[in-house]
Amino acid sequence: MTRSRGAAPGTTDATEGAPRRATLRLLAVGATGAAAALQSVRQWATETGAEFDYTPDLPSAARRLAAGACDVVLLILGDRADEELAWWADAVRGAPHSPRLIACVQHASMGLVLRAEKLGIVDLLSLPVSREALMRALERLRAATGETGIALPAADPAAAGQYALVGQSAAMLEVYKLLARVSPSTATVLIQGESGTGKEVVARAIHQNGPRAAGAFVAVNCAAIPENLLESELFGHEKGAFTGAVTRKPGRFELAIGGTLFLDEVADMSLALQAKILRAVQEREIERVGGGESIPVDVRLIAATNRNLRDAIAAQRFREDLYYRLAVVTIELPRLRDRGDDLLLLTSHFVHQFNARHNKQIRAVSDRALDVLRHHDWVGNVRELRNVVERAVIVATDDTLRVEHLADELRGEESALPGAAPGGLMTLAEAEARHIARVLAHTGGQISAAAELLGIHRNTLTRKIREYGL
Amino acid sequence: MRVEQALELLPDLEALAPLRALLFSTSRTDDRGMWASAGPYLTVGKRDVSPAELRRQLSRAVRTVSDHVHALFTHYVDALEHQQAGDSGAAVAALLAAGGLEQQVGRVRQAEEWYALALGIAAGLQDRRPEVGALDAMGRLCLSLGRYEDSARSYQRALALAEAEFDQAGAITASLGLGAVALERGEWAGVQAWYNRALRQAEAAGDGALLGRIHHALGELDRRRGDSAAAVEHLRQARERLEAAADEHEVARVLNTQGLVDGALGRGAAATAAYREGLAWVRRGASDPGLEVSIRLNLAQQQMDTGQLLEAEEEIRRTEQFAIAASLAARLVQIYTLFGRLRGRQKEETGFVFFEQALQLARQLQCAPMVEAEVLYEYGVFKETLGQGEEARAYLERAQELLEGTGGRADLERVKAELGRLTA
Repeated sequence: MTRSRGAAPGTTDATEGAPRRATLRLLAVGATGAAAALQSVRQWATETGAEFDYTPDLPSAARRLAAGACDVVLLILGDRADEELAWWADAVRGAPHSPRLIACVQHASMGLVLRAEKLGIVDLLSLPVSREALMRALERLRAATGETGIALPAADPAAAGQYALVGQSAAMLEVYKLLARVSPSTATVLIQGESGTGKEVVARAIHQNGPRAAGAFVAVNCAAIPENLLESELFGHEKGAFTGAVTRKPGRFELAIGGTLFLDEVADMSLALQAKILRAVQEREIERVGGGESIPVDVRLIAATNRNLRDAIAAQRFREDLYYRLAVVTIELPRLRDRGDDLLLLTSHFVHQFNARHNKQIRAVSDRALDVLRHHDWVGNVRELRNVVERAVIVATDDTLRVEHLADELRGEESALPGAAPGGLMTLAEAEARHIARVLAHTGGQISAAAELLGIHRNTLTRKIREYGL
Repeated sequence: MRVEQALELLPDLEALAPLRALLFSTSRTDDRGMWASAGPYLTVGKRDVSPAELRRQLSRAVRTVSDHVHALFTHYVDALEHQQAGDSGAAVAALLAAGGLEQQVGRVRQAEEWYALALGIAAGLQDRRPEVGALDAMGRLCLSLGRYEDSARSYQRALALAEAEFDQAGAITASLGLGAVALERGEWAGVQAWYNRALRQAEAAGDGALLGRIHHALGELDRRRGDSAAAVEHLRQARERLEAAADEHEVARVLNTQGLVDGALGRGAAATAAYREGLAWVRRGASDPGLEVSIRLNLAQQQMDTGQLLEAEEEIRRTEQFAIAASLAARLVQIYTLFGRLRGRQKEETGFVFFEQALQLARQLQCAPMVEAEVLYEYGVFKETLGQGEEARAYLERAQELLEGTGGRADLERVKAELGRLTA
């Protein structure tokens, strides 16, 4: 692979976009009382060749950010450290030159450290700031100059293949084999996979390579539409059938006649609606809401879900008879983290796609950025990667995507990469706190569900949350 | 369990409104929910509710209600004591304070009751200044509800009484109120006349902060009638005076308007900088979540206008989460309307879910008719974008009906123009 030297905040870069400065410009922000505490910091920063500026005033700091007058904001956090961190992470978003944040706080709980990481803060230093800690933080910023660009594979339209899917991993090859078998038929297909694995893309591929390709592909997201409106969306309604039925409207079943109807997140339907879907699948006819006429519907049905329908059946949230009607053929989509080097191919694919959309010329990704991408958990799978790449393409000003262009959360994860911390190791307590935080994010903050996943009592978890300040 | 399912178990009783607010503010969504295919269409109705979490927070909600009721009772007892002591002016002030508290938490009908009571007492007093205060409160309330006729009537009476009593502050407030009513009716010459009158009186009084607010109002007038250069000058003066008066929230409001003017002038970076600085001023002052939401929504709109759709989406989502956490359910109506517009720009048909959610909230929360009309107008435009002309017309006509009932001429003209375009 071709490698090129990248550039980082505070360095000079001759490529297109905003010129980069050779000097790191620090803007310290804190209450009036912080000025004295920052005397030493000013001296140390100046010694390293950085420019130092201080303001106690928030609006004046916002003006300097907007003017692109700093590369790093050094925050002196007060009593509401959490709130202030979140505010600043938001304030620097979209500011010229994507300034980074270093925060200083009196007492940092483990929870604050983790939240700071999630917000992409470079470092959280203890007050009073020591010379060593400041130098380490500045060094981390400068270390970015060492990022090496890795050329992205060329965008070959054929790489997307017959199914417009990107990936050559073993897991995807299995998907392609199934697609080849199922597409020519009109069999009902159930696609299962985590959120963002590409269920709709696969459904479109089946449609486009099937006998009904000339017909419409109509997608309905059952989880997005309010329950009280889903029936009329699917089956249509007559004018005046209910408040809001301002006109007569055909449903998605009717719109898909001669083509394919894709029911996404099918597990999110109520049992009552499931019964109506079952009838439509069995009888091949529907009735509009508020109408008495039976309308024949000749459609190919493809359903998808990110849930385990077997579990839903056991919990009596999904009809077993409908399951067997839908799961004539089942395709299981792999998670992004199980797709190996597809990550690079997908990154390249999206970079080329967004280069065209945002008029950019990105041709490489830095080794550090690729490391961060490879170690990320990808809860949102390909959809999340696509979003991360689009955001990075928008922010990037030259031809290489670097860590600084990634979303806050990913930038924060850089510090947890092997080799980032001294020795790359963490204490047992730190590991435990990180794991608990991850499980809590997974459960949306629900303590009982998190305790169950962790295999500990709810009270124990509550105690640990308090202890680590999570 | 989802919020929309939880709401089905909650009777539509006024007394349960704080519980509904708690349901919203404790609802959550996890990372997986955000990345699911339904993630881009997620609304508060689709967020998860945990009964255990709700139970844990119940006492907090009950305490908030209890504090509110306690404050109301206290104002009532204050009014009683003042009345007994023969100080009816102070009694009126106490009743108005109670109404103000009700209005703050969105209980507008109850607020109106308090104001009407205060007005009744004030009307019988020899000193007319308490009546001027009561009329001002009533005028402001009616203005916020889109009852422009009633609002104008209150302010006109307030002005007449204030001038008769040589109550300069009352006269300025009434003139500003009459200007604000004329602004909503799109009567630009009338607005200019009322604001200039207020300006002359404030200059005579030498009140810097008040002058700042009037210059802001004049800047807003110029912005609405498309005279950006004049708006910039008024906003500069407003800012200068309000900064000197250290009125953080008013400076933030001026910057919010400044952002709109810069946006109209095609100065995207300047507009963004104005909104960002506005947020810094809000942060510097006491907490004002409503103002913060307004600025963030304008910032998102600015990003949309300059084609930064990804950034706009992220900003709207952050604003939604902020509004939910701050129990600003009524602001979700605007937030989802903007989300719907964004989906319209992206030609995403499923974007209709945002308008449906906005309409449902507007009705549930008994928002003013012009709020619902705004949603219907945008819903119509959305349908029009998707080529669904018949439905577009139905929504626009409903918006027209609502606006005809309020007399909001500026908005009505916009709806009529859209209907005309649809016919053409």
